[in-house]
Amino acid sequence: MANAATNVALRPDELQRIAEKLGREPTVVELHAFDAQWSEHCSYKSSRHHLKNLPTTGPSVILGPAEDSGILYIGDHNGERYGVVIAHESHNHPSQVVPFEGAATGIGGIVRDVVCMGAEVIAVADPLRFGRVEDPSSHQRYVAQGAVDGISAYGNAIGVPNIAGDVYFDERFDDNCLVNVVAMGLVKESEIIHSYAPKDANGWDIVLVGKATDPSGFGGASFSSLTLDAADEESNKGAVQVPDPFLKNVLMRASYRVFAYLRERKLTVGFKDLGAGGIMGCSAEICSAGGYGATIDLDAVNLAVENLKPEVIAIGETQERLIWVLPPEITADVLRIYNDEYTLPEIAHNARAVVIGKVTSDPRYVLRYRGETVMDVDIEFLTGSIRDELPYTQPQVPPGAGERPLVTGVQLDELLERVLGHRDVCSREYLYRRYDGVVRGCTVLERGAGDAGVLAPVPGSPLGVALAVAGNPRFAKLDPQLAAEHAVYEAVRAVVAVGGRPVGLTDCLNFGNPRKPDHLGEFVVAIDGLARAAAAFGTPYVSGNVSLYNESAGGKAIPASPIVACVGAFDDVSRVVTMPFKAAGSILYFIGRPQAALGGSVLLDELGRHESVLPRIDYDLVRAQHALMARAADANLLRASHKLGNGGLLVALCEMAFPTLRRGHAPIGVQLDEPWQWTHGAVGDLEALFAETGGFVVEVAANDVEAFEGFADDVEGVWEIGVTIDRPVLAVDTEAFDLHRLRDVWSAPLREVYP
Amino acid sequence: MSKRIAVLVFPGTNSEEETVRLLRACGGDAHLVHWSHGKLLPGFDAYVLPGGFAYEDRIRAGAIAAHDEMMDYVIEGARAGKLVYGICNGAQILLEAGLVPGTGEVRRPTAAFTRNGPVPHFINTHVWLKLAVDPQRSPMLRGLERDALIPAWASHGEGRLAASEAELRALREGGHVAFVYAHADGSVDDTAIPNQAALGCAALVNREGNVLAMMPHPERDGWTFNHPDRRRGNAILEPSGGAVFFRSFVQAVNA
Amino acid sequence: MTQRMCAITLKIPDNAAYTTLTTLQRLGLPVARVERSEIWVVDDAGDADDFAARMERNETLFNPNKHRLAVLDANAPRAGEMWIEETGAHAPHGRRRYVGWRLLDRDGKPADRALLREAAERLLCNPAIEKAHYA
Repeated sequence: MANAATNVALRPDELQRIAEKLGREPTVVELHAFDAQWSEHCSYKSSRHHLKNLPTTGPSVILGPAEDSGILYIGDHNGERYGVVIAHESHNHPSQVVPFEGAATGIGGIVRDVVCMGAEVIAVADPLRFGRVEDPSSHQRYVAQGAVDGISAYGNAIGVPNIAGDVYFDERFDDNCLVNVVAMGLVKESEIIHSYAPKDANGWDIVLVGKATDPSGFGGASFSSLTLDAADEESNKGAVQVPDPFLKNVLMRASYRVFAYLRERKLTVGFKDLGAGGIMGCSAEICSAGGYGATIDLDAVNLAVENLKPEVIAIGETQERLIWVLPPEITADVLRIYNDEYTLPEIAHNARAVVIGKVTSDPRYVLRYRGETVMDVDIEFLTGSIRDELPYTQPQVPPGAGERPLVTGVQLDELLERVLGHRDVCSREYLYRRYDGVVRGCTVLERGAGDAGVLAPVPGSPLGVALAVAGNPRFAKLDPQLAAEHAVYEAVRAVVAVGGRPVGLTDCLNFGNPRKPDHLGEFVVAIDGLARAAAAFGTPYVSGNVSLYNESAGGKAIPASPIVACVGAFDDVSRVVTMPFKAAGSILYFIGRPQAALGGSVLLDELGRHESVLPRIDYDLVRAQHALMARAADANLLRASHKLGNGGLLVALCEMAFPTLRRGHAPIGVQLDEPWQWTHGAVGDLEALFAETGGFVVEVAANDVEAFEGFADDVEGVWEIGVTIDRPVLAVDTEAFDLHRLRDVWSAPLREVYP
Repeated sequence: MSKRIAVLVFPGTNSEEETVRLLRACGGDAHLVHWSHGKLLPGFDAYVLPGGFAYEDRIRAGAIAAHDEMMDYVIEGARAGKLVYGICNGAQILLEAGLVPGTGEVRRPTAAFTRNGPVPHFINTHVWLKLAVDPQRSPMLRGLERDALIPAWASHGEGRLAASEAELRALREGGHVAFVYAHADGSVDDTAIPNQAALGCAALVNREGNVLAMMPHPERDGWTFNHPDRRRGNAILEPSGGAVFFRSFVQAVNA
Repeated sequence: MTQRMCAITLKIPDNAAYTTLTTLQRLGLPVARVERSEIWVVDDAGDADDFAARMERNETLFNPNKHRLAVLDANAPRAGEMWIEETGAHAPHGRRRYVGWRLLDRDGKPADRALLREAAERLLCNPAIEKAHYA
C-alpha cells in the first residue's frame, strides 16, 4: 500500500536505508526516484535471486538477459551474422484499469525495447488472459475488447505485423487480466547498439527524443507493484500513460535513419528506451551500466504543459521517448534528423530531440531544476540491486484420480462439439483478424496458417524466423511446476510443427502477491519447471519479465501464469510446413505418446470434472520426435502439420480440415481408424482422442510414406491413425461427423465478443 | 532507360519498404520520396502511394495528406498523364484528392473508402481481386488477362466504398470499378466482400485510366514465401501472386 | 423523453486540431484557432447531472486522463462551430455522434457561416459520407 504521508510505496526500512546512505533526509525528487527504482517493477527485489536458476547461455545466444532485449543468432546472409532481438513484457495492471490505452502502451513499450538495440522491429505477439466475458455489460467483456482494440490500433499504425498470440478466459482473471506483449526485431550482429554509455563517453551528450513530457504516468512503476483495488481504479487512471502510435511510427523511422548515419561513420553510442522511472530511470541506468555518472538539466526537457514539478518531469512515464548517449560532435546531426528531416515538432505537440545533460566520470546522479540541485546521489546506490528474501511454501499438487478410462455416457459427437465450442478451443480468428498480420510484406505464416508465425525477414535471403507463445492456465491450476514445463514444451512444439529450429526463449512470469508464501511458492516452483524444460530442449532464455501482485484487493489471485515465447530459425524458409490439409488420399500420423492423463484437459473442464493428473513429458522421447519432425520437414515429406494442444487429437484434425472448407477450395476430410487399432488398448478411446499430451498430427503423401517411415524407424511414438478423404466429414471408425457443422460450432463463440 | 517511380512517404505511412521492394523485383526503378523531400517529385515519371495511416488519418482517412504539398506534384503529374497508383491508405488519399474517380473537381471528393460494414472494425483478411473491366481500360491493366484473379490482403478499417446513389451509378456505368472482390474460384457474391463495399468494389480507376486506387494490398501476397503453398519445388524467393499486378503497372510505366 | 447533449474534448494537446489548423491556413482560410470536440446527443437521457455522470462512466467514450466533458444546453452548434455527421454510420440506438469543429480568427472572433461552409467544403466534410450542420 502507498505510504499516505509521502505518497510513495517505499517501506520504513527502505526509507531509513536511504537516509543513512545520504546522511540526510532525501529530497522530494529523491524520494520519488528511489520509490521508482526500488519498486518491484524496476528492481525485481523479491524475484531476481530466484531467476538466476534459468539457463541463459548457449551457442545461439548473442546477447543474454542483461539489457532491454535479448538477441538470438538465426543465420548468415552475404557474410553477415543476423540476430533477432526479442523482448517480452506485461502490461497487466494498466490494462485492467484502462484497457485500450493500457494494452496499446504495452505494445509501444515493448517495441521501444527492441528499437533501442539498433534493430528494425519485425513482429509483435500478444498472449492474453481475460476473465469471464459472457456478460456483455461486464467490465471483463470491456477489458477483453478494449485490450484487443488497443493492441490492434497501436500495432497496425506503427506497421509491425502481429504474428503470434493466444488467449484464455477464466474466472480467476476477472479482477486481473494479463496483457503480455512480445516484440521481435532484426539486427546484424555487427550493428547492435547497446543500452549503456560506451568506453570513453565522459562528457558525451545525453539526448532525449520523442513526445513532450506531460504529467501522465507519474507513479507508474510503483503502481505496477500494488494490488488492484476497485476503489483505487479511479485514482490509478492518472498513472496510465497516453500512447501515440502515429508519433511512434515517425520516431521509429527517424531512428532507423540515425542507425544508418551511425553505420556510415562506424560509431559506437548508447541508446535506451524510457520505461519505468522515466527520464531518471533511463538516464541513470544507461550511464551507470557504463560505469559513469550523469548530470541532467530538467529545464532542458521539452514539456507538454508548463510548470510541471521536478519529480514529475524526472520520473513521470510519458510514452514514446528514448535516450541517446552521443559524442558531442554528432549531436547536431542527430537532432537535425529527428527535428527537421522527420519533423517531430510538427507530428505531435512539442515532440523533439533535445540535449538534456552530460555523462560524467564522477559516479553521482545529479538533477538540476531552476538553478537548484534537486537530486544528488551515488548512482550505484540508486540503480544497484536490492534484495528482499521472502518466505515461501511448496504448493500442494492435488493427487490424481488415477488411470481408470473415462466413462461419460455422452455421445462422441456431442463431446466433440462441446470441446470445439469451449472458450479455450474455439476459433480465435475474430480476435486476431483485427491485427495487421502482413504489413512489411515478409509474412510467411500469418496467424491461423500454422502453429507459429513465420517471417522471411531478410530481403533476398531464404532465412526464416518463427515465433510462438504458450502457457496453459488450466494446467497451472493443477501443478504450477509441470505447467511451466508444458508452457516451454508447447511453445517449442509450435516452432517444430512449422518446420522451425527452436533457438531460444523468453518468459513473462505473471503471479500473485510475493508477500504471501503460497503465492511466492508457486513462482519458485514454476521457475524450476521453466529451467528444467529449457535445459532439456537446449533453448536458453534471453529476455523476460516478472509481473507480481496480480491480485485483487479481496485477495483473489490469478492462477500461476508462466508465459513463454519461443523463437525458431530456418536456414531455408522453403521448408516451412503449413497447417491445412493439402490433398485427399494422404496418410495421417500421430507423433506423440497416448497417455491416460486427461488432467487439465478441455474435455474434463467441459464435463465439470477437475480431478486428475497432468500429462507427463518424457524429454528423451520428445527430443527424438522433434528430430524426426525436423528431418521430415527438411526432406519435404510433411504436407501439413499441427501440434496437439487445447482439446487434443480430434480438435487438431478438425483445425487442419476447416480451412479447406472455404469457398473455392476442395474440401478435405478425415477417415480416422478406431483408436484401439493404434493405442492397442493402452489408453481408453476418449483419452486417445481428447487428452492434451502434446505431439503432432502430420499429413504425408502416399508416395512419401516409405521415406517417412524410414526416418521414423528408430523413433518411438509414431502412429498411423488414418487417411485424408475428399468429403467434408470427420469419420472416427464408422461414425461420421459433418465438418461444416463442426466448423460452425467452433467459429461461433468469439464472434459475439469480437464482432 | 527505364522510367523512375516515386513511392511517397507521408508521416504515418507504413508500407513503403515492401512496396518499393516488389516494384523493383518487377523491373521498376522505384525510389522512396520522403515528405521533407517532396520537391524532388516532378523529376519522377510515375507515383505510387503506399499503405499506412498518413497524418494519423486526422479528420478522415486521407484528408490531410490530400492537401500535403507532395500531392500538388502528384495532381499536376496526373493531369499531365503520369501513372498514379494508390494502395489502401494511398487509395483513400487519391479519393480525398478527387483524382479518383475524378468525376468532380480536384480536392472535392465525390466518393470515399470509409468505415467497414457491418461492424466498423479493422479487418486483416486474405482476398481475391477480380478484374472487372477490359484490360485495355487502363495502361496499368494491359498486362493482365481478362477476368484476371489477383490475391491480396485486405488490411483496413475503412475500405468500404460509399457514395451517393447517383455517383455509384456513374461509377458503374463509367467503367470506374476496376476490381471487385471475388472468391478463390472467381465467383462473385456478397459473401466475398469483406467490408460491405458498394458495388463489391475493391479498386477504382479514373476516366482517363492513368490513376488507380486499390484498397487491398497485392504486395503483401506478392512473393512465393508469402503464400508457401504456392511453391513448386523449393523456389520461394520469387515474385508471384499479387506481383502480377505490380508487373503490369511497371510495364505500363516503362512503356 | 429528455434529450441531452454533451461535448467531449481533449485536455491533452489536440494534435488533430493543430494539423487541421495548419491545413486550413495552407488553403488560405483566415483561421487562427481550431477547437475539436466529440458531440453526443442522447435520447431519453434523464436528469442532467445523472447524464454527465453516466457518460463519464462510459469507458469507451471517456477517459478522465485525456478527456473533459461538458453538458450542452442546445442541440445545435455554437457560434463559429459546425457539427459533422457521418451519414450511414452505425450509431447505437437512441444516440447520435458528431464531430464539432469551432473555428476562430486572430481576434478570437468565431468564424461566420461563409467561412465555416468553405472550411467544410474544402476540408472538413466529405459529402459522399458526411453532412455538415451549422449554427
